[in-house]
Amino acid sequence: MGEVILTMKGIDKSFPGVHALDHVDLEVRKGEVHALMGENGAGKSTLMKVLTGIYSKDSGTITYEGREVEFTSPREAQDAGIVIVHQELNMMGHLTVAQNIFIGREAMKGGLIDDAKMNEDARKLFEMLSIDIDPTERMSRLTVGKQQMCEIAKAISHDAKVIVFDEPSAALTEAEIEELFKIIRDLKSKDMGIVYISHRMDEIKVITDRVTVMRDGGYVGTLITEECTKDDIINMMVGRVIYEDPKTQSMVKPDAPVVLKVEHLNAGKMVQNISFELRKGEILGFSGLMGAGRTETARALFGADPKESGDIYINGEKVDIKTPMDAVKHGIGYLSEDRKRFGIVTAKTVAENTTMACLEDYMKGIFIDSRRENEAAQKYVDDLKTKTPGVDQLVVNLSGGNQQKVVIAKWLARNCDILIFDEPTRGIDVGAKSEIYHLMNELVAEGKSIIMISSEMTEILRMSDRIVVMCEGKKTGEIDIAEATQENIMHAATLRK
Amino acid sequence: MDKIKNNALVKKIGFNRLVLCCVLILMYIVFAMLSPTFVSYNRILSALNYAYFLGFLAIGVTFVIATGGIDFSIGPVMFAAALISGQLLTKSGWPLILCILISVLVGVLFGVLNGYLVAYCGLPSFITSMASMQLAKGIGSVFTKTQSVSWPQVTDAAGWYRKFVKIRLSSGVQLPSGLVILVAAMIIFSIILTKTRAGRYILCLGANKEAVRLSGVDVKKWEMLAFVICGMCAGIAAIFYVGAYTTVLPGLGDNFNNEAIASCVMGGTSMAGGLASIGGAFIGVMIISLLQEGILAMGFPINWQYVITGIIVLVAVTADIRSRRRKN
Repeated sequence: MGEVILTMKGIDKSFPGVHALDHVDLEVRKGEVHALMGENGAGKSTLMKVLTGIYSKDSGTITYEGREVEFTSPREAQDAGIVIVHQELNMMGHLTVAQNIFIGREAMKGGLIDDAKMNEDARKLFEMLSIDIDPTERMSRLTVGKQQMCEIAKAISHDAKVIVFDEPSAALTEAEIEELFKIIRDLKSKDMGIVYISHRMDEIKVITDRVTVMRDGGYVGTLITEECTKDDIINMMVGRVIYEDPKTQSMVKPDAPVVLKVEHLNAGKMVQNISFELRKGEILGFSGLMGAGRTETARALFGADPKESGDIYINGEKVDIKTPMDAVKHGIGYLSEDRKRFGIVTAKTVAENTTMACLEDYMKGIFIDSRRENEAAQKYVDDLKTKTPGVDQLVVNLSGGNQQKVVIAKWLARNCDILIFDEPTRGIDVGAKSEIYHLMNELVAEGKSIIMISSEMTEILRMSDRIVVMCEGKKTGEIDIAEATQENIMHAATLRK
Repeated sequence: MDKIKNNALVKKIGFNRLVLCCVLILMYIVFAMLSPTFVSYNRILSALNYAYFLGFLAIGVTFVIATGGIDFSIGPVMFAAALISGQLLTKSGWPLILCILISVLVGVLFGVLNGYLVAYCGLPSFITSMASMQLAKGIGSVFTKTQSVSWPQVTDAAGWYRKFVKIRLSSGVQLPSGLVILVAAMIIFSIILTKTRAGRYILCLGANKEAVRLSGVDVKKWEMLAFVICGMCAGIAAIFYVGAYTTVLPGLGDNFNNEAIASCVMGGTSMAGGLASIGGAFIGVMIISLLQEGILAMGFPINWQYVITGIIVLVAVTADIRSRRRKN
């Protein structure tokens, strides 16, 4: 490890209602691979966004190459030599590799683009990194791994001195990860400073020199990788005090019947051979890190996306669910993590959204019975304590928590017995959060059953009767609430099978 | 200004629609000042002739635009319907009532085709309707062997369909019966759009199709229905076209697409879908009809009408997009 190239000190950043970063420190040396770890929502991405000027910081200092800097755009950071290799690749599939690498700064000759020169430059770049890619190949024809290599090459071509890898291995195969590590070691030997964001414990031990752990927007500590164990890191990641009491035992009656049984569900890479049971009156938590395949599992089960294979039984009876229509017919309701896109029609009223799934119950002949529709909507507004001036209010004008209540009302009006809550409290403020929790508990007490997908450990431990843990499209654990701890959940969530 | 906008009555009718009404009246005054012969009952009847078929086209396409789609085939489909049923009426001697039904049926069939391709096969409505526009032009021409078709005059035995457009009293006064039918149709379709399940789902899926699909609604069925309604209206429009203008030429009709779409957008139907107003489309239709009558009365070549309609579309769409941006 060489001298310090980048220091972030006391970085503080607040968004309305959220203290996203609370005096976070990070130090990167030349020739170092520095892991940045933390649960979903710990603030890693926000910190990197502050570094590269996407967000402005409220306080704190960033020192880069000995002087204090404040970038106002990723472009500025890039010009100074700080680049991010994003998890989602920003590539244009129909352009060639070389065209992608030099996008926005094409070599020109006489007013025309000089492809020959760009190909030559790209070839030199790949040679330097000892990557074997043809610069004239179309980007879309490369594997995800190779595309990532191109993204790295693009980063280097900006004369980078600090490279941030944001979960680079999430979509890669073992062999590709090996190759990635070879390149990272090579960059390291060229004295670059590298920030490596990942959830994978084993990788951290293999590739990094130091680890900085963040939790809930705060800085927990920095360790030297060699001197710590995997458990040390996990403890730092989860060691928060849980203010809300976690459930200590399952509330489900021992003789409660199984209402939903899923067997060997397969749907692409993100849903591989998933089996589980849901019992009447149960909240089944789905835990895992970002990209574990939980939402994909729910969508395949609900018929929102096509599935390859797998059997679904409802109340012991095998059912065929190909579309959301089938799922709803069998009494399954899905509350999406992305409410605005998949949950509600924001341009329509509370009443219209409430009866969306069961409009046929509110007809008088061929006409919609507005009076009964409004009464029903008003009833759910009262029951769920939705804050809205009236049922004719457009949903777009409601807050996140109240929008969520409208989605819940939609499925209650449809009288669904199985509800899939995908990140039920994402983007919802603390007060509304406990109301939603309260509501979920009431629903199961009434005999409904809930699958709850959540990335928040406290939420999982507070609400679930049983927890299914997923990692990379596979089920890696099933834990009864009585035995569940943050540690054993996190272990399963980082388990690569 | 805000005070006017927040007035209860203004809110109910819609500020934009009130502005449009003012534009309509203003246009009439301008034409009247420019051409002294413009103010006459016959001029109004003539402008209304144009409004009937355009009105039905606009009603239909409102449903498609409400889903977030577009239909560029309505004009040629109207012509194809008029050509095919007219050929059967005049050359093959089929009964008039049957020919009217066939005209509507031709429209419905094109609607089924467009709707199936868009809703069930996932083709973009833009491309689909471009293709079926060509199809409609071609089929109409082939069916009549590239001959024009002239529907019977009012004096003929099979000429009673013209009473749909206007009724001549024994005193010689002509009554615009078409206006009564159009207004009635507007009210009926407006009720369908706002008070039935079909209309509700069509508007909702236009606003957020995926959310509606994930609510377990058969979005494909309702999306297709919008196209079928649109085609049916084009078939009805055909009868009003020949009722007013008698003769149909093969291979034409595309200019009416733009005029019908312009009427909708002017009246407050959003090209992005989810927001539609049949009443607004009615005012839009009146404006365009008056415009073409006015341009004729001024003695300008008819092509000027295309220029002005083009400008109106641009202005209306720009206003639509800008108002949506403000809301976001």
